[in-house]
Amino acid sequence: MDHKLERKKIKTSYQSLVIDIFIWVFLIFAALFILAPTIFMFTASLMPASDVVKMPYRWIPGGFYWQNYWQGIRGNDGSFIYIRNILNSLIVATVVSVSTVFLSALAGFGLAKYYFKGRALVFMMIMGTMMIPFEAIMIPLYLVTTKLGLQDSYAGLIAPFLVNAFGVFLMRQYFITFPDEILDAARIDGASELMIFKTIILPNSVPAIATLAILTFKAQWDNLLWPLLVVQSEEMKTIPLYIVKFMAEKHTDEGAMMAVAAIASIPILIVFFRLSKYFLGGAALYSSRKG
Amino acid sequence: MSKRIQSYSIERQKARWGWIFVAPTLIFFSLFSFYPIFNAFYASLFRKKLLSLKPPDFIGFNNYSYLLKSPDFWNSIRATVVFTLGTFIPLLIFSLIFAIFIMSRKRFQNFFQMAYYSPAVLSSVVAAVIWLLIFDPRGLANQWVNFALNTPGIDHKWLASSVMVQISAMMVYFWKYVGYFTIIFIVGLASIPQSIYEASKIDGANDWKNFWYITLPLLKPTTILVSIMSMLQCLKTFSTQYLFTQGGAPLAPINVITLNIYHTAIRDHRIGRASAMSIILFIIMLFFTWLQFKFSRTDEVSY
Repeated sequence: MDHKLERKKIKTSYQSLVIDIFIWVFLIFAALFILAPTIFMFTASLMPASDVVKMPYRWIPGGFYWQNYWQGIRGNDGSFIYIRNILNSLIVATVVSVSTVFLSALAGFGLAKYYFKGRALVFMMIMGTMMIPFEAIMIPLYLVTTKLGLQDSYAGLIAPFLVNAFGVFLMRQYFITFPDEILDAARIDGASELMIFKTIILPNSVPAIATLAILTFKAQWDNLLWPLLVVQSEEMKTIPLYIVKFMAEKHTDEGAMMAVAAIASIPILIVFFRLSKYFLGGAALYSSRKG
Repeated sequence: MSKRIQSYSIERQKARWGWIFVAPTLIFFSLFSFYPIFNAFYASLFRKKLLSLKPPDFIGFNNYSYLLKSPDFWNSIRATVVFTLGTFIPLLIFSLIFAIFIMSRKRFQNFFQMAYYSPAVLSSVVAAVIWLLIFDPRGLANQWVNFALNTPGIDHKWLASSVMVQISAMMVYFWKYVGYFTIIFIVGLASIPQSIYEASKIDGANDWKNFWYITLPLLKPTTILVSIMSMLQCLKTFSTQYLFTQGGAPLAPINVITLNIYHTAIRDHRIGRASAMSIILFIIMLFFTWLQFKFSRTDEVSY
């Protein structure tokens, strides 16, 4: 009897060891598969083109082939327009992030802490815009933008993204737990509603603001479809458009292509490794948006 | 009496401030969400050409009936449905497996989360450009597959054959988003109280039984959320397919709806027809969002 129990115990511990090893191997292989393309981009960006598409691929570059980065920044025509395009992306993403945070915080605060007639309806309307995909309204937006003469301008690039429903929802959820007593105490001390917003609400919502700002910035840094519609000149292009153009050009070599991609990715990867909790937290927050 | 009047007016003043705070956002959404969607519907009833000086002709639902008879449009529907199903099912299965495996580890949880999530940080244009090189005939994809299958020197035509180019697009998308959904599953797993597992351990359940009878049923709301979110994402896919065609892949197999809208409006200048396609896309997505709301309301779990 005792023997049997002992044998069973050994068997299950052996089994669980096998399962344990299997899970480790699986996770490590998956991690290698997922990381490989990013590593490929960085290693290839340091190789002459002849090494990039070569069988078999050598994962460790022979040296620092900096000409790729020079070629990528200089452009095939020597115009250095990539620098201007990076600047455009920075301007658009920054303005959109600031405005999204500000307007979302304002609206979220209004919806969380003030009781007014039609509040539920307003909230539902704002949430309802989540159901309208940008892809479905891009054509009318494009027509309006051209009619207003805003095509090929910062205003045209920025205007459709000044605030979004997810941001309003995020801020409202954050403010709803904020204690009313503090707000009332400030009112008794004679603070105006705007003062309350500026001096109490904004300084106390840094985590929510950081999450929203980072997610918004990242979305704009990626945006391809809208710039593709409204931008015509080389000067107003953003990073994704430059990459598309650079790829399609005749004299592009693969190493320089990867250097251009690496330049676009390095800033956002640094932010990710420094502030990963906001990225991961943002993904998690998205899942709680049904509330 | 006077006190009541005073507090009443304070409440009214507060209500006014509520409106003031909400107003900018509400005006924005009226101009940039509600107006355009009505405008898209309105434009879909006209024969309208971009840059044309001729006033548009009202043609009722002709754009829609044209689309429903057009093989090109049905090809787009097919491409979108194939892409959506082929992407979201692996996404769902693998992100669930990753999340459960990561949560079962005592160490390196954070490392695996960050490693799996990292492709989502890269922009979709960068992702497509990297994979275009990997799918090159001399690229890594052929090298790996030939190594795994022991078939040296075979070109699998990742971007040339009409079946393979669809699989390639799915792979890029899968690679980019699997970490994102893994994180959502991890959050769902973390919210299951440990006490339930302890109770089942006392009752003599093993890991497999735990997974099948506790974890999976309690993850149902997260699973539904992930499926519908990933489905909505896949329906809107644009960048990967656009970059692939720019890089020389054939258009027809991966001509998803968004790409077709873009081409119809910008290359062919047919605003009315493109608007009709936009409205159809909108209705499809509305249906899935409605599903999400319906399921997330009825499937609220309490522990």
